[in-house]
Amino acid sequence: MNVTGIIFTNDATMGELTNKRTSGSIPFGGRYRQIDWALSNMTCAGIRHIGVISRHSYQSLMHHIGDGEEWGLELEEGGLEFLTPYASATNYLYRGKLESIYNAMDFLEYSDNDGDDLVVMSDSAILANVDLADVIRSHVASGKHVTVVTKAGIANGEKKLDLALKLDDNGEVADMVVDFAAAEDYVASMDIFVLSKARLISWVKEMVARDKYHMDRDLVMGGWRRGQIGINVYQFAGTALYNESVEEYFANSLSLIDKETRHDIFNGNHPVYTKVRDRVPTYYGEKCDIENCLIADGCMLEGEVEDSVLFRQVSIEEGAEVENCIIMNDSVVGAGAELKYVILDKNVTVTPGAKLIGTKKNPIVVKRGETV
Amino acid sequence: MYFEKKRVIAMLLAGGQGSRLHVLTRKTAKPAVPFGGKYRIIDFPLSNCVNSGIDTVGILTQYQPLELNEYIGNGQPWGLNKTHSCAQVLPPYERNDKKSGWFEGTANAIYKNIDFVDRFDPDYVVILSGDHIYKMDYNAMVDYHVKNDASVTIAVRTVPLAEASRFGILNTNPDNSIYEFEEKPKQPKSTNASMGIYCFNWSVLREALIADEEDPNSDKDFGKNIIPNLLNAGHKMMAYNFDGYWKDVGTIDSLWEANMETLGKNPEFDLRGGKRETIYARNSALPSSYIDEDAKIVNAFVAEGCEVYGKVVHSVISVGCSIGKGALIEDSVVMPGVVIEDGAIVRHAILGENSKVGKNAVVGGAFAEGEKKQISVTSKGAVVEANTVLLPGEML
Repeated sequence: MNVTGIIFTNDATMGELTNKRTSGSIPFGGRYRQIDWALSNMTCAGIRHIGVISRHSYQSLMHHIGDGEEWGLELEEGGLEFLTPYASATNYLYRGKLESIYNAMDFLEYSDNDGDDLVVMSDSAILANVDLADVIRSHVASGKHVTVVTKAGIANGEKKLDLALKLDDNGEVADMVVDFAAAEDYVASMDIFVLSKARLISWVKEMVARDKYHMDRDLVMGGWRRGQIGINVYQFAGTALYNESVEEYFANSLSLIDKETRHDIFNGNHPVYTKVRDRVPTYYGEKCDIENCLIADGCMLEGEVEDSVLFRQVSIEEGAEVENCIIMNDSVVGAGAELKYVILDKNVTVTPGAKLIGTKKNPIVVKRGETV
Repeated sequence: MYFEKKRVIAMLLAGGQGSRLHVLTRKTAKPAVPFGGKYRIIDFPLSNCVNSGIDTVGILTQYQPLELNEYIGNGQPWGLNKTHSCAQVLPPYERNDKKSGWFEGTANAIYKNIDFVDRFDPDYVVILSGDHIYKMDYNAMVDYHVKNDASVTIAVRTVPLAEASRFGILNTNPDNSIYEFEEKPKQPKSTNASMGIYCFNWSVLREALIADEEDPNSDKDFGKNIIPNLLNAGHKMMAYNFDGYWKDVGTIDSLWEANMETLGKNPEFDLRGGKRETIYARNSALPSSYIDEDAKIVNAFVAEGCEVYGKVVHSVISVGCSIGKGALIEDSVVMPGVVIEDGAIVRHAILGENSKVGKNAVVGGAFAEGEKKQISVTSKGAVVEANTVLLPGEML
């Protein structure tokens, strides 16, 4: 049984943060990009043939992943492939996941198919340390067509979910909704699916031929409603961070300060790999005061920082006060500046004495490279 | 197989036992000893090579090579794994001629690897050692060597006269050419100390190594034999002055000092640096460090993957350490993976990799200004049991 991975890095809608990025390349957790979780989950489960499907703005993503070396994917056979759209007589910029897979059919049909080969699909906006080997075991044992990984406690009647499922007392699917703010008694899909490669190939070809392109609606929900597709639900017990809005991204970033969440997301048995940067350790100066923070390498800290996440090579000058902030790579907070509820994207300079005060619901986002 | 001809290659002597580092090198070769929070000593000469444009490095190992070999791997962290570059570990091996068996001295180690060097047909060979902390552009030294039409160039630095008798001392003419080499002289005539960094014309060195093997009384050592012999034979030998930071970290005290000298806003030895000054290291896949609300960190380095709940003052904390509530770490070097439990006090210490200091244990002590600091040391994986004491200068 060979397992192939497909990672979708969506066109996210997080304002300035996704201006020149896909969801996969959004920095998260001090030294990572969001796609690191999907990639590391797959490689930790022994998946060595992974396609990354991206429609727009994939430059920073390609820069981050390179040849996949950090994830052990710089292989002669299999390894990592970028499946970016290209136009040809049979190709067009796709509208949904099914069309994007159709465009990448060469990738799926590339390797020999043993008949029992599987495909694991994952998005890159929901971050969790998932033991995919266990998900695959569950899929095989269930004998069902498609396994959906779900998380309870996410549906709340307000948050719009890509796919939500209601389960009966036996854990069987009783209802399914797509793009809907499902009520609390639904479990949310984590956008992780396992299914047979041969079936996926034939389903995608059939669906696209009928102008169906939406994976959740047309394939999963549609197939289930028609009684053609049996669904195995894998209920994930650990922490799952849904980064689908700036507000969620901000709250989830700061949630890593909590020990349990942090240890769950950075499970030592399944490390999260990322691109290596050769930075020195972080230097804590004579007058710095750091409380309850997550601090990456290469920072120079002279000021006060509380309840915040600092990325690599951030400089906090003397007398600066930073509280409830996310500060990305290479940004500088000048002497005496005051920041509360702020997200500084990469390479931002906050001039000495400047004051930026946002709120928990509406953190101020400063664009990459700006000077405030 | 095709080997690209190289102008310069480096040979890095990494086989020494490092016995003066005592328990720290019990199971680890000296070049693999951690330094500066996330590095190992060998990262410095290796990164210097890369930053100097030297892409072929032979690394001579002998003592406890397992960890060192694993660390170097295929040279990928230093970018030395490309089609025409390498970081090649060269252990002693058996063959059916004189080049068989253990390395019997620094010169003998290179002699036994003449075949390796010959593959690259280099014009110049730079000889380095794996126990110094410094940043140096070897290429500038090679250029100086070429410009002066020398056969041998030796990097030198000025040391205090009182310390000169601990070094190989080079006595030079006004044009910096060397007329005399004295290994650890009782009455030093100058303060030009050899740094153990040599640039040779490969043809000259090759011949000298072969000749030295014929001498049954030779120690097969660069400082004792090769350099004096070449000087006596009339080869032009130049001193190359280096005035940057350089430290032999071969003793507990100097290893501790060098770590302390990386601290401060304008440190004596800056681990940072611009382009072509980066020190590369094999990185561990560890998350960012967590600093608790009760933690206090003053004038210290803390690397990735740490959890700090206690107080850290004037110390270097390496990757993957945890420091419990109410613990105090002062003037200490904490190597990777160390666990310091709640309430423990650690002062003037080097805590070896993955060692553990139990609850309320006390390691080391404080010293008055000017008093000789006695460094306490824990070896790899050692455990200082809860509520016990490891005295100043004591090793576990």
